[in-house]
Amino acid sequence: MEKEKLESLLIDFIDGKLSEEERKNVEQELVRNAEAFTLYEQLKEVIQAMNNAARLEPSAHLKVAFDKMLQEEMGNQKTGKTVFFRPAFYRVAAAVLLLVLGGGIGFWISKQQQQAQQMAELQREMNHTKQLLIGLLDNQNSASQRVAGATVAYKSVVKADDEIVNALVKAMNDDPNTNVRMAALEALRKFQHQPYVRKMLVASLSTQKDPMVQIALIRLMVEMKEKGVTEELQRITTEEGVLPAVKDEAHIGLMRLS
Amino acid sequence: MTDEMIMEAVKNGDLQQASMLFERYNKRIFNFLARLAMDRALAEDLTQNVFLRIIKYRGSYKEGARFQSWIYQVARNVFSDHYQAHKNKYSDFVDVEKLRDNMPEPEDEPWEEKEKLLHRSMAMLPDEQRELLVLTRFQHMKYEEVAQIMNTTVANIKVKVHRAVAKLREHYFELEKN
Repeated sequence: MEKEKLESLLIDFIDGKLSEEERKNVEQELVRNAEAFTLYEQLKEVIQAMNNAARLEPSAHLKVAFDKMLQEEMGNQKTGKTVFFRPAFYRVAAAVLLLVLGGGIGFWISKQQQQAQQMAELQREMNHTKQLLIGLLDNQNSASQRVAGATVAYKSVVKADDEIVNALVKAMNDDPNTNVRMAALEALRKFQHQPYVRKMLVASLSTQKDPMVQIALIRLMVEMKEKGVTEELQRITTEEGVLPAVKDEAHIGLMRLS
Repeated sequence: MTDEMIMEAVKNGDLQQASMLFERYNKRIFNFLARLAMDRALAEDLTQNVFLRIIKYRGSYKEGARFQSWIYQVARNVFSDHYQAHKNKYSDFVDVEKLRDNMPEPEDEPWEEKEKLLHRSMAMLPDEQRELLVLTRFQHMKYEEVAQIMNTTVANIKVKVHRAVAKLREHYFELEKN
């Protein structure tokens, strides 16, 4: 008998897996064949050795490590739950949707950031302009610099805040130089629709002593159709020491406003 | 409660139940890997990895599948991945002389000469044959169960196991002579 076949039969014989007839055949072979018997003895020994081999025990560390890992996984599970779509088509659809959403959100965020950046840049420029014009208006040594300050307000400022208005009003009322006062008035004229500017212009009419500014102011009041100044115009027409040209302008103003 | 019912619960998010599967299987998986790798410390690490994968990839457990087959398949993959990753680190065969360093004998029950001989001859077998003997002889699994784990036929397993036993016998008695 071929050795491999014999070995296979012997193993089944040892395992008790042969039919009655096969078992008898093997027993007969073992009786008449000494080599087969040795082979049987040896196979039996290794098979029994394997069957009876001691069971290995893992160290206590394995259980500790498992418990730690399980706790971590349970912690992860609380923080984020996996969404699992079935069938695969839904997963693909979800992936595409996420991709589109992600792209959209990314684009939107980038646009928002860009806008915010532009706003910040604009704000920074405005602050810079404001500081520049206030600094120029405040230059006591140079009338031309102060005129330049008022010009900056006229040319570069879109909407004047209280700080700018106050600086311009102060220049219009108190600056020793007529050109500066006129330039300040011209700048304020640009912002005449702002209620606070309007209020300051009306107030200035009663205190203004510079005839040039007075005439320009009266013309502005007419332009603004500011009827609240008629009493003040009346006073100017009768007040002594007021230049005739101013009185004439007040008369014209009164006629136009009434 | 069957292993399969517990695994279903784990799959549905009740991770705490995994400790019951650990209690039932950790020693068997450890023994399988220790006999296969011939290294106890490594076997502990690999066993830990097996349970980590069971939990992490719980979603891939198919409803109705036999849990025992699945966990052994995971264990085989863990073992194979480890050796793929360390291909250059290990030679193709286990160094028999160093074996005793990695498989220290239990202090309370020192191995008999025969058992030492058995381990040295096991080390001389190729991985596949050693694996088949560990499953069928050391772990007393039926050929049907092993065929399921290895995704092959019972007849194929039987032929391979018989060859492995025959080869082991050769090594065993050769070593005994020396």
